[in-house]
Amino acid sequence: MTAAPLISLDAVSIRHDESARPTPDGVSFEVRPGEVVLLLGPSGCGKSTLALALDGLVPHAVPATLEGTVRVAGLDSAEHTVAELSEHVAMVFQDPDAQVVTGTLLDEVCFGPENQLVPAAEVLERAERALKLVGLWERRADNPDVLSGGGRQRLAVACALALAAPVLVLDEPTANLDPAGIDEVYAVLRDLASERDHAIVLVEHNLDAAVDIVDRVIVLDAAGRLVIDGPARDVLQDRAEQLLELGVWLPVSTLAALRLRDAGIVLDPLPLSPAELAAALDAVEVLPSPRLDADAPAAATDGAAPAITVRDCSVRRGGRRGPVVVDGVDLDVASGDFLAIVGTNGAGKTTLLQAIAGVIASPKGSVDVLGLDPSRADARTRARQIGFVFQNPEHQFVAHTVAEELELGLRLQGVDDETRRVEVDRMLARFDLTEHRDRHPFLLSGGQKRRLSVGTALVAGAPVLALDEPTFGQDRARASELLDILSGLNAEGTTVLVVTHDLQLVADHATHVAVMRDGRLLGVGTTADVLAGPLIEAAGLRHPPLARATRGLASHPEWHAVTRMSQLPVARRAAA
Amino acid sequence: MSAVTPDLTPEAAAPTSGTNGAAPAAPAAQPGAPARTVDPYAEQAPAPGIRFLHYLNPLAKFAAPLPVMLALIFTRGLAIPIAFIVLALALLVIGARLSGRALAVLLLGVPVVILVLGLSFGLWVDPERIPGGGAAASVVIFEIGDWQFTLAAYLVGLATALRIAALLMLSLIAGLTTSGPELVRALVQNLRVPYRIGYTALAALRFVPRFGHELEVIRAAHRVRGTDAGRGPIAAVRRTIGTAIPLLASAIRHAERVALAMDARAFGAHATRTERTISRWRVRDTVFVIAFWVVSIGIYWWALQAGLGGVTSDRTEVGL
Repeated sequence: MTAAPLISLDAVSIRHDESARPTPDGVSFEVRPGEVVLLLGPSGCGKSTLALALDGLVPHAVPATLEGTVRVAGLDSAEHTVAELSEHVAMVFQDPDAQVVTGTLLDEVCFGPENQLVPAAEVLERAERALKLVGLWERRADNPDVLSGGGRQRLAVACALALAAPVLVLDEPTANLDPAGIDEVYAVLRDLASERDHAIVLVEHNLDAAVDIVDRVIVLDAAGRLVIDGPARDVLQDRAEQLLELGVWLPVSTLAALRLRDAGIVLDPLPLSPAELAAALDAVEVLPSPRLDADAPAAATDGAAPAITVRDCSVRRGGRRGPVVVDGVDLDVASGDFLAIVGTNGAGKTTLLQAIAGVIASPKGSVDVLGLDPSRADARTRARQIGFVFQNPEHQFVAHTVAEELELGLRLQGVDDETRRVEVDRMLARFDLTEHRDRHPFLLSGGQKRRLSVGTALVAGAPVLALDEPTFGQDRARASELLDILSGLNAEGTTVLVVTHDLQLVADHATHVAVMRDGRLLGVGTTADVLAGPLIEAAGLRHPPLARATRGLASHPEWHAVTRMSQLPVARRAAA
Repeated sequence: MSAVTPDLTPEAAAPTSGTNGAAPAAPAAQPGAPARTVDPYAEQAPAPGIRFLHYLNPLAKFAAPLPVMLALIFTRGLAIPIAFIVLALALLVIGARLSGRALAVLLLGVPVVILVLGLSFGLWVDPERIPGGGAAASVVIFEIGDWQFTLAAYLVGLATALRIAALLMLSLIAGLTTSGPELVRALVQNLRVPYRIGYTALAALRFVPRFGHELEVIRAAHRVRGTDAGRGPIAAVRRTIGTAIPLLASAIRHAERVALAMDARAFGAHATRTERTISRWRVRDTVFVIAFWVVSIGIYWWALQAGLGGVTSDRTEVGL
């Protein structure tokens, strides 16, 4: 009855050449036709490595040792080339930019089958089918560069489909995308999953998007061992606590339900999506009132002096004749605010932030940061007022050790040796980097690099910190860890500005939200007001999952304003 | 073979904004990257019949002027380079589909550049080496103190500028009428260059704008850190090394990812790959190359006969 497995893994351990222990470690499972399998696990458990092993890139193209056997359509992956295996397994990678080889969409989709020596007529047939499936057939003559991130990732899916392999492996396909792009890609994946023509193996940390298309979940623990393998719903609902302990990020709606359970409101079965959470809450007759004013971060900053004043700021990109990317923005940020700037791709968020921080020039007198015009100040003066953290922390590293990296900012300020040493030690401790002080910044892990870049921006004592998409390409756990650090800094008095796509993180951490569209500032207000009002939709964005669930509640209108996890009722003993 | 493509290419001719009505044209994903005016990958739209250069094999367009370009390096005098500039311009104006702007640059900009370049080359000419006695040597255009800029020096400079311009114009015959993929196809199919090299080079072309953009971001990031302080060559070298490290790190990572993505799509699996578009060497290519060579030999023969130029193996020799 059951078909032969398309992929079967037997006690697979993979050790990268530079690491001591194997991750994954002794993993066995099978993938059958038509299955949609989600591979979960905490950061560093080896789930991406495992994905690379499914089509032979490990061990053929990546320097790593593979023990055990990976069989693809019965072929031992160690004995067959990646090219042979590509007829059975197609891959989609995380970075949409790093998958484009040719100059037009059509050539791009044809590239794989052409390499497989498929006859030209069939190449075109396959390309047409694949491009139509992802909705890009009309744009086949375009250069892939002009597509949005979501468009390029759909193109990557089309390229994989054109290989005509029965298995599709996707390694964090939406980690580099904005919410609109994520929705685009999942709309395509949902179609694919419902057709059951392909087995799909998905590595994804964004469970909110993935949960409704998967039917089986495989979970690795931090050591890379397989701990759970079962039907998606059963695993996520019945073993939610175990997953949390393993460091796996659950859907926001499930997390909210777990929190409610602690507070005595039992939702059974656990909801996995905002719609299910809304339905479950509506089914409960009496809900305790939400803690709408509970540790609302906004309350602390009312009436504070303005730290940043932006008046009629317009910025062009690429010189005087370039397009206007920021258009007549007026913005006030009070000292001690945690402001999130949100908007779709190309809305001008990053440019505005760079203008505020003096990274790019702004019109004279249009930006004032604590009495300073940052784009006209020298680096030394500017560093004392505002620190800027770029999207990729590596771009900012200039020294050979972590300690020197921090010291550089102090040296620029002319601080004497003794104070410098004390201050560097304090920053190392503050950002949990003391044991890495003599390492090269490029050798740190992703999270450590990010913490160091925040440290270098603050070391000169800047009371304002600006961060450009600090959570880009990171999983939820690491993104949340960083936002916790930022919240801590904010609580200590630092004014924080972030540009981000992740509206749930905005809801949980920011005191104020500024919404942009097409270079204009649509509006700015406290997080609660903005998330309750029409601005988010006006900017072409979608509400974060928790707000989506609570906005539609029919029987509990007082819950409509709940957008943050911290607003949910807490366990009685904690409240008492 | 070509029967499979015609239904796909015509769209390229129509403005793209008309064909993608369903999906709104997305703005370039990277806001910092300016829209590129020249897309080295874009397949060419079909050109009117008279624009014959677009219908030639790219190799023909390289092979025809190549011997002339070599000969020009050893040629002295004004007449021969001028003749080839005129020939190349005529071929381009008739045979290539050019925008009004490109046409203006070719017809007006090139002469201006030649005159200015001739002046600056002329200033560098060693007066001792200019064959004396000619009438031109005694015509002084201007003088500063003891030093005189003579007509002879200007003519020598002009001859050099004309040679360079002629080389450039001859290379534009292929350069302005060939797309990247066309050239790679011709190299792989007609010249038997291994396709792994050809297509890898094409993929690498994509890296250039990306790295340009990335370098801009890194420079901005280092400005923020205050490491752009300091003047002079030592600070400049230090800055360059400082930006090179993050750029290299990210370039290597990017190249690795692209390589994985290409491997995963069976690149290099077989000794050949399917070619959807066949690059042919036709009779017209042979005719073009031979006609070009005949005309070139004619120009040289006429000029040398008339004493309007010379050929020398001493490339340091100046003179007309």
